[in-house]
Amino acid sequence: MNLILTLRVLVNGVLFGTTYGIAAVGLSLIFGTMRIIFFAQGTFIIFFAYISYWLLTLLGIDPYLSLIIVIPASMLLGSALYYGIFKEAAANEDKNISLLLAIGLMYLMENFMLVVWTPDPRSVVTSYTTLVFRPFGIVIPFTRLTTLFIAVLTAAGVFIFLKKTLIGTAVRAASEDVVSTTLMGINPNWVNAVAFAIGIGLAGVAGVALATIYPFDPSYGFIFAIKALIALALGGIGNVYGALLGGILLGLIESLGSFYVGGGWADAISYGVFLLVLIFRPQGLFGGSIKKA
Amino acid sequence: MIDKIYSYIKDKRHTNIFFTVLGALIFAIIPLFTDVEASYLIYFLFLTFIHIVIAQGWNLIAGYAGQISLGQNAFFGLGAYTTALIWLHDITKTGYYFDPVVMILSGLAPVVLAIIIGIPLLSRLRGDYFAFGTLGIGQIIIVVFLKARAITGGADGLHIPSTVYESMMPYYYTGLLLALFAIAVVYFITRSRIGFALRAIREDEMSAASHGVFILKYKVLAFAVGAFLAGIAGSLYAYYLFHINPDSVLNMNWLFYPILMCVLGGTGTIMGPVIGAFFMTAIFSFGDVYFAQTHPIVSGVLIILVMKFMPTGIIGLKDRILSRGK
Repeated sequence: MNLILTLRVLVNGVLFGTTYGIAAVGLSLIFGTMRIIFFAQGTFIIFFAYISYWLLTLLGIDPYLSLIIVIPASMLLGSALYYGIFKEAAANEDKNISLLLAIGLMYLMENFMLVVWTPDPRSVVTSYTTLVFRPFGIVIPFTRLTTLFIAVLTAAGVFIFLKKTLIGTAVRAASEDVVSTTLMGINPNWVNAVAFAIGIGLAGVAGVALATIYPFDPSYGFIFAIKALIALALGGIGNVYGALLGGILLGLIESLGSFYVGGGWADAISYGVFLLVLIFRPQGLFGGSIKKA
Repeated sequence: MIDKIYSYIKDKRHTNIFFTVLGALIFAIIPLFTDVEASYLIYFLFLTFIHIVIAQGWNLIAGYAGQISLGQNAFFGLGAYTTALIWLHDITKTGYYFDPVVMILSGLAPVVLAIIIGIPLLSRLRGDYFAFGTLGIGQIIIVVFLKARAITGGADGLHIPSTVYESMMPYYYTGLLLALFAIAVVYFITRSRIGFALRAIREDEMSAASHGVFILKYKVLAFAVGAFLAGIAGSLYAYYLFHINPDSVLNMNWLFYPILMCVLGGTGTIMGPVIGAFFMTAIFSFGDVYFAQTHPIVSGVLIILVMKFMPTGIIGLKDRILSRGK
């Protein structure tokens, strides 16, 4: 019984961690090219969770089906945000400006959502929300399993994009050395916009995934952004592949922590692990010794 | 005589001192002309003074030493809680209400914390990593305050006896004094050898170290002074609130607002945070009164607009206008 319970905790940790993972991949991409932690990421995730909630309640569109609308819309929004707000700041030597722009955006979005959707928690309820699989006595909700699939698919998509396409190569090159990339004739604005588009696109995916498994409210965005940041640090800042693994690891830590130590302390534990990793392995747990930043 | 004063002011080194003294005098006599107990102006200025104190602390560590700390709300909260705890447990056996001993101790508690966490963080983490580290520490402290129910009262927090409240007067003047104190501290630190060391660290750590600057010592010093200012501001705010809980004093706004004020006014300048504090507090208060629900949205838009169109702050705007004329 105890073994099954532990397994259940582990499985749940992995399943929930994948949501952090998708968010962290987005953060990692934006960090790679812009050199800032995009604090508003979490708030955008919640924003898209609300969008999928609206699509369901107002138009009756299934949350998973809504990805077809949400992904292109969020990518458009991402590149629009870059050209509208971040373009000048990205060229500036002082990264604090971009950071504060992100904070301002977070503040704006969070309060916008508070006005539009009120601070009451919402959740997306569909016919399959309560559907549960029980392999070997381990309870796995259908929505969480789907989230895992979506996460893996999205991550694979992003990795293939980065490895195989010309734009992806440009993004990777810019993460390594912006100046040289610019000298090679790659427009840094364009690369940044692509990174932003994918980053916000991933926020869209994470938002829809989150909406199906968890009740959410506007203030949850900031917490989520910090969680994604922790996942990013665990995986190694600037390391796209590590970010997903970092998210899953964070999910495991939280799930085990809240089960064995208690709800609120799980947060303290994950921050503690975050600090230890920052201090002793700033390149992340899964990375080599590449130093970027 | 007047000529002498005029030439004294004209000297660029003295303008800051002049305006600070002038401002202090004006603010010192304002309560004589207003109804202190009922006036919104007094409350507004009191809040502005508190913001100036925290913002100057952040200005020193981030603006001058270049180390972005995202843990100031933890120091602020710790200062507030220290005041409440000393009072409730009757530790210092002094008057408690606006007691300088309690307020200084409330400033020193965050200093101790800043030194304990500052040494490992500042010796190992640079740039963004330091910012994340302090963010993590701040969050851990919030969890600890929430969970240590026996000492901090958990989510409900602590109540200090509000029957001692008599007038808004001591709040106003203590706030004014603390704001002047914070401005003076940062002013004199930045004009001493320490200030040179801090700026050298900000510009190029490697080069500063190779010129014999003991980097860790100066960074920890700046971090500790910032923590002291945040803590003492927290103490004053605790006297105002009488009910200290994580929601009110460990709120993320105590981290973001001072940063915004610094950036808006101009970080790394002595008057920037002061101008920023007046400006932002005015906008928040105005918004609170006239469009209570939507004002944070306006503030968010404002932050974006300011950072987009005048990234060097209001102080920088002056320089930009002046240089355009040349």
